[in-house]
Amino acid sequence: MQRAAHTAVCVVAPAMIRRCLKCRVPLQVNSRAYSVVPTPRDSEEKDMLDRILRVDHAGEYGANRIYAGQMAVLGRSRTGPLIQQMWDQEKKHLQKFNEILAENRVRPTALLPFWNVAGFVLGASTALLGKEGAMACTVAVEESISEHYNSQIRALMEKDPERYTELLQVIKEFRDEEMEHHDTGLEHDAETVPGYWLLKNAIQLGCRAAIYVSERV
Amino acid sequence: MAALLRGVRAGRALRGLSSVVAAPTATTPQCSSLSRGFHRAAPRLQDDFKSDKPPPSSSSTTFHEHYQAHSAEQDNTATASHEGAAAEQASRPNTSYQDQSGEQGEEYETEEQLQARILTAALEFVPLHGWSMEAIASGAETLGLSSASTGMFNNGAGDLVLHFITQCNSQLTEILAEQHKQVQLGQAEPKATADFLRDAVETRLRMYIPYIESWPQAMSILLLPHNIPDSLKHLSTLVDDIWYYAGDRSTDMNWYTKRAALTGIYNTTELVMLQDSSPDFEDTWNFLDNRIQDVVNMASTAKQVQSTGEAVVQGLMGAAFTLKNLTGLNQRR
Repeated sequence: MQRAAHTAVCVVAPAMIRRCLKCRVPLQVNSRAYSVVPTPRDSEEKDMLDRILRVDHAGEYGANRIYAGQMAVLGRSRTGPLIQQMWDQEKKHLQKFNEILAENRVRPTALLPFWNVAGFVLGASTALLGKEGAMACTVAVEESISEHYNSQIRALMEKDPERYTELLQVIKEFRDEEMEHHDTGLEHDAETVPGYWLLKNAIQLGCRAAIYVSERV
Repeated sequence: MAALLRGVRAGRALRGLSSVVAAPTATTPQCSSLSRGFHRAAPRLQDDFKSDKPPPSSSSTTFHEHYQAHSAEQDNTATASHEGAAAEQASRPNTSYQDQSGEQGEEYETEEQLQARILTAALEFVPLHGWSMEAIASGAETLGLSSASTGMFNNGAGDLVLHFITQCNSQLTEILAEQHKQVQLGQAEPKATADFLRDAVETRLRMYIPYIESWPQAMSILLLPHNIPDSLKHLSTLVDDIWYYAGDRSTDMNWYTKRAALTGIYNTTELVMLQDSSPDFEDTWNFLDNRIQDVVNMASTAKQVQSTGEAVVQGLMGAAFTLKNLTGLNQRR
């Protein structure tokens, strides 16, 4: 029986003592029995999961900063409470990803300071266009993020839906909340802002570039 | 038959590693066992080229390479020699076409594991021959292989140095994991971060002491352009491990600044150690202490600057608000 355990391939324990089971060094038990991300079986899987988690973390961080920028301008207006509510949900998302990253020893993207500033500037500048501008920004960003989460869900489902059940659950939940934000934005006259089409596409292009870069850097 | 061989090998292992080509298979004369070893080495070499999907645990992923040294070490103490199918614990599915015939269902050793064993054996010749192919050749000979098996090592001395580094990193990770477990079980007190870092770096650098004479040569080998990616990778893994066990769970820029700081500390301390002639390298450990103190001071200074900055901003906002009041701009008419 012990043999069988030892014949397993190098497994990275959730508590991340990177240790080959063959080497007979005791695996550290994860203090939390429930772990969202399964232990990667090889370095390829680890890379893939790392990339997914890194870009999701960067995305939530950016969204956080965007809402912060919007609040800085519109915080005291009528839409303040609405934006605050959406911001609180994003904070929860970010916290969840922080936990996942720490647990799985994933390197956060090196561009975080850049997303910090860029997100805030984006949020603040669109909010200066008024409430409709802020809503348009929300719609564009949330649509990008939802698309991105959807493609991740597709990728994970293609690979092995059972293995990634918990992770898929988390991503699906977050995607649903982002879609809610998107719909909220539309309800609150996002489309009435002048240059809506241009603004929306410009922001989405920026988001796509940000996602591409955060996966790699 | 397999079980008998394994039992015999275990017995031999207990009697010590020196008699590599030993009596228990007494009927087998030495030269034929050598040639068997060769024949076994040859299909294994072809193995790597021919099997398009190598068995998972012999895949050349960085994960596994990282721990080859350690598993090789274990294997070394468990198996006295290469002859017979090596007593590797992993019974991987035998997907290679070459080895199906000769092995009779016994576990076989991959080329990586064989290389790891040779390199581990070569380490004891480093004080004599330096980090070089001679050391590897001597190591191969103690295992009963011909010194021509150094042909397996395309990177020569670089392979030896990288193998040693990997081994040291695994040992350190083990020690840190053990300490971590002790703390979690409540059997030991958690150390302060500065102390933890100091102990971890000291433990790691002490592993170089037996080879300190030739370590400058090793460092220059690591600085060769084709070795730099690997050595950087090992360094970053080392620093990441140390910080993880020190309790760092940051997910922002701190992740980078902490690791950069520790890398700097580690590298400079290593350099100091090279030219340290004090008893038991006291000067090096003092230097290490001072550098860690510097970093700790810098971190607390940064925090102070930040809070001072915030206080100043608050003050300015307050002043601006007061001014607005005084000039009556705040009133609605």
